Amino acid sequence: MSTRAPIGQRLKEYEQQEAERILGACTRCGKCYEVCPMAQYSKAPRGDSKAVVGGVLAVLRGEAGTPEALGWIGVCTRSGVCVPACPENVNPKMMMRLARMTALGGRDRPAQLTPKEDPDYFDRVRAFAKLQLTDDELKEWT
Amino acid sequence: MSEEVTFWYGCNVLRHGDIIHSCLDILRALGYEPSPVGGVDYCCGTVKDANQSAAGGMATRTVGKLNARGTPVVVWCPSCHSHMHEFMQQGAERRFDMSYLVELLHAKRAQLAPLLLHEVPLRVFLHQHVGFNDLVPVNRMVPELLALIPGVKVLEPTYTAPGYMCASFAALPKALEDIHNNTVRAAKAAGADAVVTIFHQCYRELVGLDAAGAISVYNYIQLIARSMGLPYEDEYKAWKRAGDGATELIGAERIAKVGVQFYERAILPELKKRPKLQNSDPGS
Repeated sequence: MSTRAPIGQRLKEYEQQEAERILGACTRCGKCYEVCPMAQYSKAPRGDSKAVVGGVLAVLRGEAGTPEALGWIGVCTRSGVCVPACPENVNPKMMMRLARMTALGGRDRPAQLTPKEDPDYFDRVRAFAKLQLTDDELKEWT
Repeated sequence: MSEEVTFWYGCNVLRHGDIIHSCLDILRALGYEPSPVGGVDYCCGTVKDANQSAAGGMATRTVGKLNARGTPVVVWCPSCHSHMHEFMQQGAERRFDMSYLVELLHAKRAQLAPLLLHEVPLRVFLHQHVGFNDLVPVNRMVPELLALIPGVKVLEPTYTAPGYMCASFAALPKALEDIHNNTVRAAKAAGADAVVTIFHQCYRELVGLDAAGAISVYNYIQLIARSMGLPYEDEYKAWKRAGDGATELIGAERIAKVGVQFYERAILPELKKRPKLQNSDPGS
């Protein structure tokens, strides 16, 4: 009897491999935090760059993040200026995205940040489709 | 013979039917036969950071549906495009060629230029972000496309917003307010008649500047469409400008399709929303 893999299993395995790669490659130099144009919008006080990155890595390991790290994770909007700033090819943009997924509880770990999902998100998309497309277009295009 | 392509437009661009219809006409004029797909059933899952089981399931479903079409895919949405590259194709095997619309138009610009017949007399300031440009160099390509339009003068970009598009700032109102104000200030200082966005997610946010009377705002595809003489009306902008009057513009029949209660709770507030602007006089 064949057993079906749980929904999203392959993606989760990729994310875990990436998290382990990042944990092994990052030297906590803090350059990614220093160049980030969004760090100024964090509600947490600005921290020492090496310590903030250490907090992000803790989140990736499934541990509790520091307020400074969680504050930074919460304001990441994928600017990507951290990527060329990283001397170790860590891909800090991926590091932050995975940390965000983890902190929001999306990777089977307890949530440390409150998800701000819009409950009307998909219904609003459906509604605008009805306002903007003909019935035939709705049927064939969506 | 025209080449069949799937035009994967995304989800939230469904606010802008004129953009979707214009893209299809532009692709046809360039010799493609586009089949549009999008909406919730083709969602990339990028909004599901808090639930990777759901995101993985959406990736598997959408990649599978796009695989089954058996044609190259042209992508409109930057979120879908980057999410495919970074995550979706890791969770499900992608078996189709994929290009971003800006890349395709830029590659076909020699064919596009003679189609741009009508003058669009505008000095435009490009609204650009630092992100996504590493995947597709849109901050270089879009101004080069706009420069093909007779009458358009593309001004030097003196402001680059953080992030990769404006909609991801919905939960960061102070940052979005800074982006709005910096954009208006820089555009006016440059002598622009209009701000032009690359992405619909930015257009949706910045068109509030137009509605508030701060400066005209367009998406780049709307200017290409205008120069080609395409007939589509930007209803979203008309609704934004009208505010409460949007209800009359949309009309009872269409509102009934989405439900009056839902319209009043979830659609009308978006149409009435205006950006918080400081004094944008460049001399101040």
